[in-house]
Amino acid sequence: MELLAQTLVNGLVLGAGYAVIAVGLTLIFGIVGIANFAHGAFFAMGGYACYLLTSQGLNYFVAVPLSVLIVVVIGAVTEWIVIRRSLYGDSHHGSLIVTFALGQAAVAGLILIFGPDPLPVTSPLGQTTMRFLGIFVASQRAFIFVCSVLVLGALGLWLRLSIKGQQVVAVAQNARGALYSGIDVPWIRALAFVLGVAAAGLAGALLAPISTIYPTMGYSALIVGFTVVILGGMGSIPGAMLGALLIGVANALFETFVSVSWTPALGWGLVIATLLFRPQGLLGQVQQHRH
Amino acid sequence: MAKSSSIGIDMAIQDFGTVMDRKQQTGAMAGDKPGRAARETIYVGCAVVAIVAFAVTFTDPFIVTLAGYTCAFALFALSINIILGGVGEVPLGQCLFFGVGAYGAAIGMGKVGLPFELAVLIALVLSVALAAAIGVITLRLTGAYFSIVSWGLTGVAMVAAANLEEITGGPLGLFGFPPIEIGPLQLSDPQTYFAVTATILLLAILFLVALRRSPFGAAMDSVRQNPHLARSVGVDVARVRLKAFMLSAPFAALAGALAVPYTQIVTPEVFSVANTVDGLLMVLLGGAQLVVGPVIGAAMFTLIPQAMNLDPNVRILVFSSIIILIMMFAPGGLHQLGVALRDRLGRKTDDDRSR
Repeated sequence: MELLAQTLVNGLVLGAGYAVIAVGLTLIFGIVGIANFAHGAFFAMGGYACYLLTSQGLNYFVAVPLSVLIVVVIGAVTEWIVIRRSLYGDSHHGSLIVTFALGQAAVAGLILIFGPDPLPVTSPLGQTTMRFLGIFVASQRAFIFVCSVLVLGALGLWLRLSIKGQQVVAVAQNARGALYSGIDVPWIRALAFVLGVAAAGLAGALLAPISTIYPTMGYSALIVGFTVVILGGMGSIPGAMLGALLIGVANALFETFVSVSWTPALGWGLVIATLLFRPQGLLGQVQQHRH
Repeated sequence: MAKSSSIGIDMAIQDFGTVMDRKQQTGAMAGDKPGRAARETIYVGCAVVAIVAFAVTFTDPFIVTLAGYTCAFALFALSINIILGGVGEVPLGQCLFFGVGAYGAAIGMGKVGLPFELAVLIALVLSVALAAAIGVITLRLTGAYFSIVSWGLTGVAMVAAANLEEITGGPLGLFGFPPIEIGPLQLSDPQTYFAVTATILLLAILFLVALRRSPFGAAMDSVRQNPHLARSVGVDVARVRLKAFMLSAPFAALAGALAVPYTQIVTPEVFSVANTVDGLLMVLLGGAQLVVGPVIGAAMFTLIPQAMNLDPNVRILVFSSIIILIMMFAPGGLHQLGVALRDRLGRKTDDDRSR
C-alpha cells in the first residue's frame, strides 16, 4: 500500500514534467500543423542553457527563466529561417523531414560543443526530500511539479482570456477562417512555435538537476512527448495533460511492479492500443486529412 | 510533368473500371519515343558491364566490400523511396524492417542453423506481415501519425532486441556466423559479395521501373499528388498506401540481410533511426522522383565521407544541414537545382508541387 501510494505520487510528478513537454508539442501540432521532431533538441538546449548559466555562478532559480529565454531566441530564429520556409513551401512532408534533420543537427552540434559526457547541474534544492503523509518526494521534483502546474495553468488562462490567446485558439480551429477575420496567421504560427519550444526548453531546465544533462537527453523527451500527444489526441491541450498523467503513472507503476528494462516500450504499446480503438486519441477530434 | 499527373488520374480512372484505349495510354506513358525498349536494354547492358568492370578492376578487398555494402544500403534507400517518392509519406521507421532482415538472417543462421537464403526468406515474410500490421493501424490517419508511430516502434524493437537475450544476444548482439553463402556463391569473398548485391540492386531497380509504369504505379502517383482527387475518382487511397508500405518492407529487410556479410555483427543498434536518416538523405540527394535517384545518392553518400574522413558528429551535422537545405531549396533532389537555375521564375510543375 505504502509502495503503491509512493509509486502513484512518483507517477503524478513524472506526468507533470511530461505534460509541459507534450503541451508544447501539441500546441505546435495544432496550430502550426507540423509534428515537431526537433522538440527533443530544444529540450536539451534548455538543459544546456541552464548548465551554462549555473556554471557561471548564477542561482538555479534565476537560471531557469533565463534558459527559457535563450531557447525562445533560438526557437524564434529557427522559425524565421527554416520552419517558415519548409512549412509554407509546397510539401506537407517537408516539415517533418526538416524538423527531424534539425533535431539531429542540434544534437550533433551539442556533442561537438559540450562533448558527449553527462554534465551536472546543481540546484539549491539539492538532494533534499520532503516527507508528506509517509510519502517521500525529492524537493526538486516537487519544484518541477509546482512549476509545471503553474505554467500550464497560466497557459490555459492566457489562451482563454487574452486576445492573442483567443487568436491562437481560432487559428487552431480554422486557420483559413482566422485569416479571413483579420488574424495575422503567420505571426500566430510563429508565436505558437516559439511557445511550444519554450515549453520544451523549460522542461529541460527543470529536469536538468535530476537527470544530469547529456546531448541525447532530448531523445527520450521526444519519445515521451509523442506517445503522450498521440494518446491524448494530437492538437488537444487537455488531451496532452491527461495523456501525460496516464503515461507518467503507467510508467511509474510498470517500473516498480513489472520491469525497468521494458519500460521504454510501454508508451508505444499504449499508443498502439489507443490507435486501434480510438484513432483520434482520448480527447482528440477526428482528424481530417490536413494535407 | 503536368501531363504525367493527368495520366496518373487517367490510370486511376482505369483502375476504377473505366476502360480506356490502352494503346493511347502506353503511348502517352512512353512519351511517344520509338526504340525505348532498345534504349533500356542498352542501359541494363551498360549497368551489367559496369558491375563486371568494377569487380575486375578493383581488387582491394576493402573497397570492393564497401561497394557491396553501398549496394545493399542503396536497396534500403530504394525501399524508403517507394514510400517517400511513391505515396509521399515519410517512413521514419523503415529501419525497423532493415533490422528485421539483419536479425532474421543472423538468428536464422546462427541460432537455428538455417541456410542463409531460407533465413532471409523468412525475414522477408515477417517484414511484410509487420508492415501490414503497422500500416493498418496508422495509414488511415494523417501522415504525421504514420511517421511518428513507425519511428516509435523502432525504439520498441531496439528495447526488445536488447532484452530478449536468449534470441538476440542482448545488447552485445550476434556475431561469429558460419561463412555466408547463397547456393555456390560465397558472400565472404569480396568480389562475389559485390557482384551479388549489385545484381540484386539492378533487379530491384528494374522491378521498380516496371512498377512505376504499372497501373498501381499510377495509382501511387495520384495518391501522392492529390489524395482527395484520387479518392474522388475512385482510388482507394488508404489501400494504395498500405500496399506500397507492404511492398517496401521486404526491400528494406533484404538490404538488412545483405548488410550482414559486411558488418559481421548484428546489434540492437541496427534499429537505430540513424539508418533511416542515412537512407532518407540518399533519397533526397539523388531525387525522390528518379527511380535510380536513391542509388546515385547512396554512391555520393558513401564516397564523400570516405574521401573526407569526418568525425561522425561532424558528419551528422553536415548531412542534416544538407537535408534541411535540400528541403528548402530543392525538395525534388539536387538535379532540381539545375532546372531551377534554368528558369528561376518559371512555374513549378505539378510533380514538384506534390513533393
